[in-house]
Amino acid sequence: MPANESNVESMRPVEEETLHCVRCGLCLAACPGYRESLNETDSPRARIALVRALKEGLLEEPTDGFSNAFFRCLLCGACTFACPSGVAVDRILELTRGELASLDLLPPALADLDARIAQYRNVSTEENEGRLIWADNLPTPPSGLGKERAEIAYFVGCVSSFFPRSYKVPQALVQIFDRAGVDYALLGGAEWCCGYPMFINGELERARDLMQHNVEAVRAMGAKKVVMTCPSCFHFWKHAYPTALGVENLGVEVQHATEFLADLLEAGSLKLRELEETVTYHDPCDLGRKGGVTEAPRRILAQIPGLRLVEMAENRDSSHCCGGGGNLESFAPEMGRAVARNRIRQAADVGAGTLVSACQQCERTLANAARAEKLRMRVKDITEVVLEAME
Amino acid sequence: MTDIVAELREAIGAEKVLSSPVDLIAYSFDSTFEQHMPDAVVLPETNEDVVAVVRVASRLEVPIVPRGMSSGLAGGAIPLSGGVVVSLARMKRVLEIDEENMIVTVQAGMVTADLQAEVEKLGLFYPPDPSSNRQSTIGGDIACDAGGPRCLKYGVTGDYVMGLTVVLPDGRVLVTGGKTIKNVVGYDLTSLFVGSEGTLGIITQALLRLVAKPQSVRTALAEFPSLDDASRTVNAILSAGIVPATLELMDKTATACIEQAMHLGLPLDVEAMLIIETDGSDEERVVCEIEAAARICRENGAREVKVARDEAERITLWKARRSVSPSLARKAPNKLGEDITVPRSAIPEAIRRIKAISAKYGLPIVVFGHAGDGNLHPNILFDWRDPKQWEKVQQIVSEVFKVALDLGGTLSGEHGVGTFKLPYMEQALGPTSIDVQRRIKRALDPQNILNPGKVLPDI
Repeated sequence: MPANESNVESMRPVEEETLHCVRCGLCLAACPGYRESLNETDSPRARIALVRALKEGLLEEPTDGFSNAFFRCLLCGACTFACPSGVAVDRILELTRGELASLDLLPPALADLDARIAQYRNVSTEENEGRLIWADNLPTPPSGLGKERAEIAYFVGCVSSFFPRSYKVPQALVQIFDRAGVDYALLGGAEWCCGYPMFINGELERARDLMQHNVEAVRAMGAKKVVMTCPSCFHFWKHAYPTALGVENLGVEVQHATEFLADLLEAGSLKLRELEETVTYHDPCDLGRKGGVTEAPRRILAQIPGLRLVEMAENRDSSHCCGGGGNLESFAPEMGRAVARNRIRQAADVGAGTLVSACQQCERTLANAARAEKLRMRVKDITEVVLEAME
Repeated sequence: MTDIVAELREAIGAEKVLSSPVDLIAYSFDSTFEQHMPDAVVLPETNEDVVAVVRVASRLEVPIVPRGMSSGLAGGAIPLSGGVVVSLARMKRVLEIDEENMIVTVQAGMVTADLQAEVEKLGLFYPPDPSSNRQSTIGGDIACDAGGPRCLKYGVTGDYVMGLTVVLPDGRVLVTGGKTIKNVVGYDLTSLFVGSEGTLGIITQALLRLVAKPQSVRTALAEFPSLDDASRTVNAILSAGIVPATLELMDKTATACIEQAMHLGLPLDVEAMLIIETDGSDEERVVCEIEAAARICRENGAREVKVARDEAERITLWKARRSVSPSLARKAPNKLGEDITVPRSAIPEAIRRIKAISAKYGLPIVVFGHAGDGNLHPNILFDWRDPKQWEKVQQIVSEVFKVALDLGGTLSGEHGVGTFKLPYMEQALGPTSIDVQRRIKRALDPQNILNPGKVLPDI
């Protein structure tokens, strides 16, 4: 099914946008948050009704409760995609969050997150210079380490840089790069948070410096391409950076690692061994539905002999969020965990032994969910799978 | 109203009671443009929770408005007098699938499409399929006696309800019916609650009859340059002895809205399309019937008839059909979707008269619906902010109802009365029927606390 483009492209003012919601309730069926809580307050339809209630005077002013309703959302975009009426729910959420942040109604946990990013230039509380600790444990130092100029800049992202659980993602990618002889460089401390968490907290203005800095850092390397393993960094760079920075293009091509690897593998430059395995592929929301990359990861999996891909009912543009989206982990972790459990059960239902994703966040939330559900399901990032097939 | 909130918390636990203004907004509407705030919302998880809520409300004489996913199109789940909204969404478990007797026991909050998927895994089939089956619950379906495309062959929700568990307005629990096909002991109380729109009791659980899942299905899409030819074809097919599972009609605007939403490559230059589906256990016969239907379409002016190539194409087609109603919002900020039924021989005339009304008032009326069973959804497109348009809409509604009644039909086939059709009830049913219904309501709900102001005028 083609993406519901008219939704995404809508430029109607928010007030007008909300008027086109006929409250049919189809978004409830699509919303992983509502499906878990079964409370209408957690539904996209209710959020639209709240914006309207404010404009029409049914609500006097936004409150903490109002703000909660808007931040208890995974921003997975399933509602926007599902809406037959063409309502750009994503824009309503984005602009309303912006308004809430400007009224000082950002939930404290999220305000703290933004403050942390402003101070450390990453989402952790570590010094930003420590971005390459993950590279310390590799058998041989990655060739991209300390390189000043290269064809490709690998933008690792905060989570994979600072959370040991996700080190394996960049570790796998640089090993693949090195074996394929890819000319790439790591940015290290010159990489700053992409700004996405601030943007979804309604503080795009605060993110602008970070964005500007990142583009300059990549350009300074003379890189033709910037490659990301994090779908959120990718989606934000690709779809928000040019507009936010007021440029036609960034002067550098933005690619997700799966797009790069699919081309690399199809060119036959890497020899892959057989992996006897039934896998299902989980589309990360920021990569698939929102980022437009659904086929590259499947092309990669198709290159691995012996691997059998089974699809979950909700796949590609209709994918079900892993529960790790929208900063919900910082704000309403119990809801995120429940959403993750629902998704991992879908993978078990189609008989997959391994769930493959292409996002460090999806990998982590779904692996935790598999443990919580006591499922014998391995959860891997696609870079790990490719590396495994190369060994 | 703090009294009611405090008492509800005491009765079922604070975590199941919502009362903040934000929560109250979320439960103030259904799938129409009407809205009214409740005083409290409860999210019961058991029959006992529902009983406890009803007892509190009855003691304090506060209105109770039951709802599932609030996708109704007649205002039935809007708390117009305030009070307590009882959301049954969390009571969504399948309690038993009795494969031998082909009966499922299910809680009221189960989503219709989820139930269908669940029983289909076992080769069973729950036919009633309101277009909103992904955002409708079984309780809501029963309370509105929901229909859907497949009702042409399989009948409506009520035809599958074998028994109910209902919490009465005084807090007693009534259990009706059972697993027997035949049951004539006493009045048929199951049927009394089917279509009662939450005004007589709160349905919390149902026994539903299942059938064997049809092994073969074929779906065809017929393109008609003339709307009149399309509507005449409906009867030509049915008179030829073919009983399709569905026989749906969409006019030009409906097709255009769907195409804009889903990019399926539907033709935009024809006045109408028919979606015809045949199903059954004998593949040869199913194919034979769809071919016969296709031939009749061509003989009656269809430009082209396409049969879905595979299951994926069929699913996409139905997803499109199910999205017609909300997709109309692409043309105007508001729509009023009516639900008239006429004897099927009168469909061509009904459509001609509706289009004439549209021309007379200068507001678009989109026509689509379950033409095979005579159930049409004329949708008036308008902007509620313009008082002149709103006045016209009210006049149009009245004239459309008159068309239905004049042709031997009635106001609603599957949406129910809610509040939207209240003013026309007496005209449709006559004083005796209204009187009998009022007496039933008063007998069961003397305090008039259950969904007051719905279905019957002036209790």
